[in-house]
Amino acid sequence: MRKRMGVLLGAVCALVLLVASAQAGTKRSHVTTITLSGWSSGADEDNLLQQVVNTFNNTHPSIHVNYAIINGDYGTAMTARFAAHNPPDVFYVDSSVAGSWVHQGVLQPLNSFITSTHYNTKKFFPNLLGAFASGKQIYGFPKDWSPLAMEINKGMLGQAGGKVPRTWAQLQQVAQTMASKNVVSGGKPICLSADWARMLAFVYQNKGSLSNLTSPAAINAVNFYVGLLNKGLAATPDKLGSGWCGEALGKQKAAIIFEGNWLLPFMKSTYPSVQYGIFPMIKNKTGGNLAFTVSYSMAKDSQNKPAAWTLLSWLTGPVGQKLWVSKGLALPSRSDVKAIGGRGAFLSAAPFAHGWGFGNPNFANAYTVMGNDLNAVIAGSKSVASMMSDVQAALKGG
Amino acid sequence: MTIQTTAAAARPYVPGRARADVARKALLYALIVAVSLLFFVPFIWTLATSFKTIPDSVNVRLIPHPWTTSAWHAIWSQYDFKLYIKNSLFLAVVITCANIVIAGLGGYAFARLKFPGREVLFLLVLGTLMVPDQLRFIPVFVMLTNWHLIGNFTGYILINLVTATNLFFMRQYFLTIPKDFEEAAKLDGAGYFKTFWRVMLPLALPAISALVILQFQGTWNDFVWPLILFGQGNTAHYTVQLGLASLHFTYSTLWPEICAGSIIAILPILAIFLAFQRYFVSGVVSAGVKG
Amino acid sequence: MSGVNETVGRPVRSSMQGAKLRETLWGYGFAGLPIAVFGLFFVYPLGYAIYISFLHWGILGRMPGASGTYNYAKVVHDPVFHTALKNVFEYTIGVVPLEMALGMSLALLINQKIRGRNFFRSAFYFPSIASSVAITTIALYILNSDGLFNRIIGSNTPWFTTASTVTWAIVGLNTWTTSGTIMLYYLAGLQAISDDVYEAAALDNTGAWRTFRKITFPLLKPAHFFVLVVFGVGALKIFDQNFLVSNGGGGPNYASYSPVLYIYRQAFSNYDFGVAAAAGVVYFVVIFVLTLVGRLTVGRPEAA
Repeated sequence: MRKRMGVLLGAVCALVLLVASAQAGTKRSHVTTITLSGWSSGADEDNLLQQVVNTFNNTHPSIHVNYAIINGDYGTAMTARFAAHNPPDVFYVDSSVAGSWVHQGVLQPLNSFITSTHYNTKKFFPNLLGAFASGKQIYGFPKDWSPLAMEINKGMLGQAGGKVPRTWAQLQQVAQTMASKNVVSGGKPICLSADWARMLAFVYQNKGSLSNLTSPAAINAVNFYVGLLNKGLAATPDKLGSGWCGEALGKQKAAIIFEGNWLLPFMKSTYPSVQYGIFPMIKNKTGGNLAFTVSYSMAKDSQNKPAAWTLLSWLTGPVGQKLWVSKGLALPSRSDVKAIGGRGAFLSAAPFAHGWGFGNPNFANAYTVMGNDLNAVIAGSKSVASMMSDVQAALKGG
Repeated sequence: MTIQTTAAAARPYVPGRARADVARKALLYALIVAVSLLFFVPFIWTLATSFKTIPDSVNVRLIPHPWTTSAWHAIWSQYDFKLYIKNSLFLAVVITCANIVIAGLGGYAFARLKFPGREVLFLLVLGTLMVPDQLRFIPVFVMLTNWHLIGNFTGYILINLVTATNLFFMRQYFLTIPKDFEEAAKLDGAGYFKTFWRVMLPLALPAISALVILQFQGTWNDFVWPLILFGQGNTAHYTVQLGLASLHFTYSTLWPEICAGSIIAILPILAIFLAFQRYFVSGVVSAGVKG
Repeated sequence: MSGVNETVGRPVRSSMQGAKLRETLWGYGFAGLPIAVFGLFFVYPLGYAIYISFLHWGILGRMPGASGTYNYAKVVHDPVFHTALKNVFEYTIGVVPLEMALGMSLALLINQKIRGRNFFRSAFYFPSIASSVAITTIALYILNSDGLFNRIIGSNTPWFTTASTVTWAIVGLNTWTTSGTIMLYYLAGLQAISDDVYEAAALDNTGAWRTFRKITFPLLKPAHFFVLVVFGVGALKIFDQNFLVSNGGGGPNYASYSPVLYIYRQAFSNYDFGVAAAAGVVYFVVIFVLTLVGRLTVGRPEAA
């Protein structure tokens, strides 16, 4: 009897000890681990973001952030993670998919966090913030942005008279001069991508808009764009032996291209000897440009939402964003963070920049239609009007 | 054993035939050399590019100018390709061995053993060939997540234990082996497993060699499944392909590093191929019949 | 097993039944594990796909709406899907005979006793070694409008971005890379043909071409069937190259759109898993029917 009591007591003691130590364990290891994921934009960017994350980890001892890069098809990997209810806590969301991710319910609505922590969202540029909002509910904060600018090979521009084009007419003139003097040997004066993510800027420059693609303004803009190609003043990058116009500029197969901030690290590392200048995007009836932006958002299925919020709000807050844009790899999305010098051509586009794909859940599908149809139009097998009505229908979800 | 020499030995002597034979042989050699060159050219270009600097790597010129080994240094030290190779090797060996045994057993069963529903089940095996990966991606991923088999190699190994291609191939091969061997084994009192392990499997050496080469390579080159199942962020689990992908950025590509990494990636497969291709020697089966 | 004990001292019929039972059990035993793997990771997902193909299904599961065949209607009436089917049929009819012929020729070529045989075998196999991503990246570079290939033949067509040539560029690329693999399969098959057969043919004074046509080729029937099914289905499932050369868009002008790319886009771009599943089921049926046709044409060689 005593023996059995002894055994029972021992067992109870062991149990209590076990539970106590477990509790003590959780009290001791009060560090919450969360995951931050994004795609890989370049060695410089990845290293910089790791540095930013390290700064966060050092200044927030109760949270440890694992920065996990997804090399490969980001969309597919994230979709699989969402479907398995096992996503990263904080991650990139490109503005062109933000609409559909909100619609699918995989992003955590942030308004409750904003109000409970009195987070000031007024410093974000409204049209950028609007890309990640649905109605009044915010689903992410833009971490940076870039519009398009015009980049011109300095030597070739000099040979064509040296005047930087500012309007459509001037662009055509400069290109014509370059063509007649054969300044760009083996290539064409302008490189134009068969991509609505470039051409749409021209539509805006002609006072067209995405909501009324069949208007004369929009159609005329496309005609101008395709017209440059048909006149031999421009070519698509594949005809210039390149994967994109940046490569064409580097290979000196084109003198004038329209690309964003991402061109700069590329040219520096791959074609360092090519001298080119960055100029504001041209205009026609008005200025027109596209804003490409990416947000940090939180997963609806995140297991550590408070910690994730701390990270998210810090990264897009003044401290975190200042660190991120310090190398000039991107432009700040907040008015209280200054961009580094030399980015004037991009910054001047801000008033004219229209969001790329903002908020439309059908955008990804529409983008495929856009690309395929534009190729057909350039090849001459489809009319511009037909493409416009196709794209319009696709944007509506048809 | 060749078609030519055996036939030649049996043919009556005709003047001038010797010269025609030499001419034919020369043509044959020329053809083989030309085809080999054609097949080799991209490899030579890759090798050359791995010794270039990034600005130079975009040139078509074959000779690097300047010549540098920085890409190779980077691959080895900055990107932990030693570890990636170890991981890839581990997966390739485990999955290849599993496939030999399981596809061998299964192929033998479908080729030689009679059991009800055999034809229907074989149609099922063929049917799996027709299901595109993209379709079964999400269900398989969700399944493995629920069983906590992702983030490490377990889930990946599980779904690759055996492939329909390998099973199908072993079956076809077993069908071509004369039944004499099994009958002899039966007379010797061997059971089904012993017959398989001691008699059929050794006879299938050419097929196994092909399977080793192809499955090793298939696992070695696999990218999407490793990416989704264990390749997100934790570089300790990276395979060579995942490592190579990390050199590929949206707007800039480290071509010399990718080329260097690709060559490292190719070498083990090449080694396996060279090691196992000697088993494509005839006479294994016929020797068995005579002996 | 009971069968073993029963055979001793029992009538012949029971011992035969016992043996049959043993064979059946061993058969299931051997085939069981692969069937289990296939069941879990192929049959179950296919069943799951069939289930969701009748519903509105998003990333996180069922979306509001009643069940019905609307997904199938959408797929069957989608002109993009029709284009994808047309593209893949064109591709398959082009690539399969080419790579089979090339693979078989290489196998026959390399089966001769020639010096440096090992080296050449490796050379022929080389293009198959690299991953499809690596090979396609290199091919994109070589088949650029000002790439190596165009410099040699004096053209400036960007082969992968011109609607009329992209399918054939991929045919060329894949023939080049898979012929080595097919060569391996045929080589293995050739080893199973015993020397006696060739000796008999030689004694009968049969020439090389006749030997091939009347003896070698027919004896390779199990290999033919295997190659036709595996690589035919593989061609119908083409995805990687189409995705890479068009950056996922299936262009230019839908010229590189394949049915599997269609499934992929519906699932991972539109997040419409119901439509993706319906497309997958439809295409599975298409492939199945074609394979059955293939099986009937090549005959039933395995009357074992």
